[in-house]
Amino acid sequence: MKTPRLILPALLALVMSVVPARAGGELNLFGWSEYIPQTVIDGFTKETGVKVNFETYASNEELLSKLVAGGGSYDLVQPSDYAAEVMIRQKLLSALDPKLIPNLQNLAPDFRHRAHDPEGAYTVPYMSGTVGIVVNTDKVKTPVKGYHDVFTPAFKDRIVVLNDTRELVTWALYTLNLPINSITPEALAKARPVVAEWVKLVKVFDSDSPKTALLNGDVDVGIVWSGEAALLWKENKKFVYVIPAEGAHQFIDVLAIPANAKNKEAAHQFINYILRPEVSVLISEAFPYTNPNLAARKLLSAEQLANPASYPPGTPKLETFRDIGKAAADVDRLVTDLKSAR
Amino acid sequence: MPAPLTAAPRRRFPSGIRLVDYTLTGWTALVMGFLYLPIIVLVAYSFNRSRLNIVLESFTFAWYQRVWENGPLLRAAQNSLLIATVSTVLSVLLGTGGAWLLHRYRYRGARSLQTLVAVPMVMPEILMGISLLILFATAGMGLGFTAVIIGHVTFSFPFVLVAVQARLKGLDPAMEEAALDLGATPLQAFMLVIVPCLRPAIVAGALMAFTLSWDELIVTFFTTNAASATLPIRVFGMAKVGLNPMLNALSAIFIVATAAFVLFSNYLKKLSR
Amino acid sequence: MSPAPVIPTDSRTPHWRAWLLLAPMVAWLVLFVVVPTAILLVYSFCERDEVGRVLFSFTLENYRRVADPVYLRIFLRSIGYAGLTTIICIVVGYPVAYCIGRAREDWRQRLLLLVMVPFWTSFLIRTYAWITILKQEGLLNGFVQQLSPTAKPFDLLYTPTAVVIGLVYAYLPFMILPIYGSVEKLDGALIEAAHDLGAGPLRVFSSVIIPLTMPGIAAGTLLVFVPAVGMFAITDLMGGARVPLIGNVIQNQFLQARDWPFGAALGAVFMGLFALTYWIMLKLGAHSEDSVA
Repeated sequence: MKTPRLILPALLALVMSVVPARAGGELNLFGWSEYIPQTVIDGFTKETGVKVNFETYASNEELLSKLVAGGGSYDLVQPSDYAAEVMIRQKLLSALDPKLIPNLQNLAPDFRHRAHDPEGAYTVPYMSGTVGIVVNTDKVKTPVKGYHDVFTPAFKDRIVVLNDTRELVTWALYTLNLPINSITPEALAKARPVVAEWVKLVKVFDSDSPKTALLNGDVDVGIVWSGEAALLWKENKKFVYVIPAEGAHQFIDVLAIPANAKNKEAAHQFINYILRPEVSVLISEAFPYTNPNLAARKLLSAEQLANPASYPPGTPKLETFRDIGKAAADVDRLVTDLKSAR
Repeated sequence: MPAPLTAAPRRRFPSGIRLVDYTLTGWTALVMGFLYLPIIVLVAYSFNRSRLNIVLESFTFAWYQRVWENGPLLRAAQNSLLIATVSTVLSVLLGTGGAWLLHRYRYRGARSLQTLVAVPMVMPEILMGISLLILFATAGMGLGFTAVIIGHVTFSFPFVLVAVQARLKGLDPAMEEAALDLGATPLQAFMLVIVPCLRPAIVAGALMAFTLSWDELIVTFFTTNAASATLPIRVFGMAKVGLNPMLNALSAIFIVATAAFVLFSNYLKKLSR
Repeated sequence: MSPAPVIPTDSRTPHWRAWLLLAPMVAWLVLFVVVPTAILLVYSFCERDEVGRVLFSFTLENYRRVADPVYLRIFLRSIGYAGLTTIICIVVGYPVAYCIGRAREDWRQRLLLLVMVPFWTSFLIRTYAWITILKQEGLLNGFVQQLSPTAKPFDLLYTPTAVVIGLVYAYLPFMILPIYGSVEKLDGALIEAAHDLGAGPLRVFSSVIIPLTMPGIAAGTLLVFVPAVGMFAITDLMGGARVPLIGNVIQNQFLQARDWPFGAALGAVFMGLFALTYWIMLKLGAHSEDSVA
């Protein structure tokens, strides 16, 4: 009868290890892949007993597609600003209860009330970034300040840009001094010759990992996400990040609770947990974007704060994307046409 | 010089044929080299200290240890293995059975059915993914393993069917006749006479089905939930912050495991003989 | 050519039980191919709302947009890439399939597995390994430099050549495997007989071996060409996404432009054209078979 006596405590221990995880229920989190460190999720589970089911996507459109088609049910999602705006308008999000998120005070006020959610009633900023120019200063000796300096014949076949139709058109609109968020057929007609010249100069279109072509030495300049640029800078200081003088796209990735969420309590708990400075700093360490959490920024090292891709110096002109509705189809058609003509 | 692999019955062949054999073997070796070229590269980088797959620095086992410690990645690999195995079995059943029946009987509308079988092969993954998601959501069926497997079987069983059909073309109908005459039931005739004859095509089809399922991303994304996320989903996610050699290490482990499995299964066969 | 059927035709006419046996496959096809396709077809006549969801109102606008020559050009280019890939796969893969099919029996399955194993590493990792090889400062150019230091380095990566290399690499096994299935069945006696009748190796190959393994080649062509037309990931990664193919365009409607109805319309036309072509080919094939019999 020796064995059962040994098994029983073992079983008990096993049950004990499972039970607290159940006590707080489960949280179905639908977020960007490689954006929330596993240590943060584990820490949350350890503290609250809430089991986190973490499902990932790689673009806002993937999130929207899966969310509107139904099927899954999520308690917490992580859209970018313009996707959140659409979701708010379509009543896909549930309003937050600020009383449950005391750590909101840690956030920089200018990140909380943006056009996508003016009252800050539905979303909490998670991380922010920009789209800007990376220059390999070993190869490029001329100053590069804006889009005009990138798209020159001198850099023909030495350029990588994001494979994103809206981004490409936005940069063209900036050089034309046109608004980026109200895209009219006239504006597109003006942008067309500009983009047509540009696509001829580009060597690689890549949204997933534009840093690869830069690191490999296949290109010398790029227009990429700031997160990519920060990783490049971390790897080698020869990669310098510049926010285009004409203006740049800023994105704010937020946390929000879907209207049909089952465990809103745990979702609030998770948001509040993430906003703690000592937790938020872990995210910054893993993913060097701009952290809107001022309390967490105080805990960052001098080198992290000096990374120009994470915390750009000066006061550049930055704008977030708004949903452009049906114009998105025209933008797509324009870029497809121009790329296809090469 | 190694002996040529082609060793079909040869008695009094002119030397020209031997030359052809050597050329064929040489070509096959060359093509195998082409197939394994990137694999050799990625295995080499799995021992590389640098985090980025760019320059070879110094030797390390650290990435293998990292794989071992990465719970979500291992779970994803496990999910992929499970999903690929189940969908391969189902694809082989559906594909082989379908190919045989379409060959054996003259169904009305067989041509339309045949066309329908080919549709999933041409259907862009994104369309299949989204339409299946809408279907499952409308039917009130949750996402997860079942949904993923249904998707995978749908795009892989046609590959088995086409491969088996190619083998069935020109099959002597007398084979089945003889079996039936000797008192076999149609099922026995199929299982004992036809299936063994189709074996090479079934093996080929199964290999294709497994491979397709193992590496599919988009249909999987739209049908999966958190618990059933597969390896490709995790790998594509990781590409965003840079593919690190951990993934190379995982691939290397998988290749070694496969090789070991092949050797071991052969050894078992020898033992049983 | 092929022996006349011994079984009288009436036993080939299906009994209700034969239909019952086929039922699982038919049910599967109806549930998971016909119904989803029907959903897409409905969507293709609808309008989109701002989330990209469909609004159920009838419109032909999406099909009018499909008729744009841009998309026709992209479609033709996709067919070109897929066709070239298929031809290279036949030329490269046939001898390999033949070699494996004629190998000693204990070697065959191992060799077959050997062909497939490289594809059990993730597509993305394999492709990045190719990038390491083909990039300007990559292994290939390093090797060339070793041989002749003055040679100009190849500029392969992010060119159409790289796309074709990637496509051939990805689809080669899908050509080798079905051809293997046909070669393995080849009757050695037939080849020997041809030799005995004085046919040289080339003659034996062209008038005995090729016709007998034609079903395998046809199957391989189907398995390579068809998926290759709609492929999108290789153009993105190895071609630098510079030239869009039909697969990229359809993908973008869902994952960038958020225009499901137009994506569905593009897909419907693409799949419809394919199904029609395939059906006609089957019909022509059946006619030629009848005339042979």
